[in-house]
Amino acid sequence: MRKLLNAFFTILMALILVFSLMRLSPGDPVERILGPNATEKEIQVYREQLGLDKSFPVQLSQYLIGVVKGDLGVSLFKKRSVVELLKEHFVPTAIIAFLSVFLSALIGPFLGLYSALKKSRVQDSIIRIISLALLSFPIFSLAPILVLIFSIKWGLFPVSEWGGLDHIFLPVLTLVLPLGSILLRVSRNRFLEEINEPWVQVLHAKGLKERGIHLRVAKACLPTVLTVIGIQLSIVIAGTMITETIFDIPGIGTLLLDGIQNRDYPVVQGIIIYSMLVYMIIYFFFDYLGEKIDPRLKMTYDT
Amino acid sequence: MTRKKLNPEIKWGISILSFYLIWALCGLIYNVVYKGTFSNPYTPYADMKKELLGPFTQNYFLGTDIYGRSIMELLSTGLLYSLSVGLLVTFICCLIGIILGFISVAGHPWLRKISETLTNLIFVFPTILLAIVLLSITGESFGALVLILSLTGWPSYAKISRGETQRIMGLSYVESAKAVGASKWRMFFKIVIPGIFPVLSIHLILGISGVIISEATLGFLGLGGSDFSWGALLSLSKTVLLEAPYIVIIFSLVLAGLIIGLNLLGDGLRDYMDPKS
Repeated sequence: MRKLLNAFFTILMALILVFSLMRLSPGDPVERILGPNATEKEIQVYREQLGLDKSFPVQLSQYLIGVVKGDLGVSLFKKRSVVELLKEHFVPTAIIAFLSVFLSALIGPFLGLYSALKKSRVQDSIIRIISLALLSFPIFSLAPILVLIFSIKWGLFPVSEWGGLDHIFLPVLTLVLPLGSILLRVSRNRFLEEINEPWVQVLHAKGLKERGIHLRVAKACLPTVLTVIGIQLSIVIAGTMITETIFDIPGIGTLLLDGIQNRDYPVVQGIIIYSMLVYMIIYFFFDYLGEKIDPRLKMTYDT
Repeated sequence: MTRKKLNPEIKWGISILSFYLIWALCGLIYNVVYKGTFSNPYTPYADMKKELLGPFTQNYFLGTDIYGRSIMELLSTGLLYSLSVGLLVTFICCLIGIILGFISVAGHPWLRKISETLTNLIFVFPTILLAIVLLSITGESFGALVLILSLTGWPSYAKISRGETQRIMGLSYVESAKAVGASKWRMFFKIVIPGIFPVLSIHLILGISGVIISEATLGFLGLGGSDFSWGALLSLSKTVLLEAPYIVIIFSLVLAGLIIGLNLLGDGLRDYMDPKS
């Protein structure tokens, strides 16, 4: 309960922060909408229509009341409600996010486990070097290289359109490679850490088979791996601005970038609320899951 | 007691980083001596040749980009830019982190509360988003970029140094120092800073690579504060992906190489300092 209260307080603070920052920034949305030829009077009328003429505290309180009712306002440019826009842009982002996190959660930990079991051998070294290299490529330099290989050299997938199944492949691959590499390394290191714990030696002493011990150690590592998966999911689902820009995906990330460039206050604020809410939900969910799997975690939190 | 052997990761990391540092030094000397400036070897559009030359042609080792600028020079200038942003931002973040970490352990109760709330607030806030919003307010410049990346980057240092300070303050020799009557400032400089530095140094090296990536990401989005940011150069070279794919590949590999070097060194140091290994 305390955690939940803290979470809402954090969202509120962040919202006020963004609200003030956006209004402090130079560049007037009204002038951008109407263009350079608009007269003073037109600008004034339009500003009143949008409610941007009122004082700062009034705007803020009106907005916060709206948020509580579930109304995030109307986009200044697209003339549509922010909730509607979010719903529409959520679909592509969610498809890419869930698919890439799912795949990396499938591949990463297993390769990590394999690498840990072959510690200090050739397989381990190769896996570690490749995963380090992959997670060192920033998305925006990885994506063009993948486009180069898959679209231009081999002509397999189209570059920047959104629609069919084959358009999903490249963006998902762009995300899976670094996400999977991080998971791989986390699970490998965690496994090697846990396998030296005293309780594992007790299992050895009791005469359990190697395979059984490895399974139990792997289970003990699961909460850490799940936490990392949760963090990854919350980051990716909040909109992967770079990936979406490169591959022209009409997702949350592109919406946000447009919103910032156009000073579309309600859109940016809406996305902040959305991404923080998603973060909190996913955080609590994976926290709960981790405690279910490993009851020891609950005890350490209580202290 | 025998000294622990350095693991191969540290050795490789140091070799790669030395290569980049020597390169940066040569680039700096070249820029200052031949071009007479530090950060901008090309006055805007003055040297434009409107011609894209391939690698190993004429006088250009790696060829030129779409504006006819030597890619080798662009890379060197970008490296100087990346490194100076990375080092400066990490240093500032680390400083803020250490101080706030100490305050949230040893300060007044209400100071503790404030510093913790502030840390958590900025920690959960999407860094790159905050940076973009802030950069659109301040406009793009080197100073603004450093300031903003520092403002958004310090919470992880504060969290680590808070945990470490807490651990150190519980050690028995700190109790004796307290009993002797050491002041808070004395404890901070003589006990806390030397105590937390080993753990923080690992995070510091990984932090530099994080800052370099953030800086390049902002550059890629056109908010980098310099035309010579590797991110900006990459986004420019992406426009000729079909005609001259090697430009994108060169920029990507050079950027990734620096990050790989930093990550190797950071990972290696973590293994090296782990008492269990």
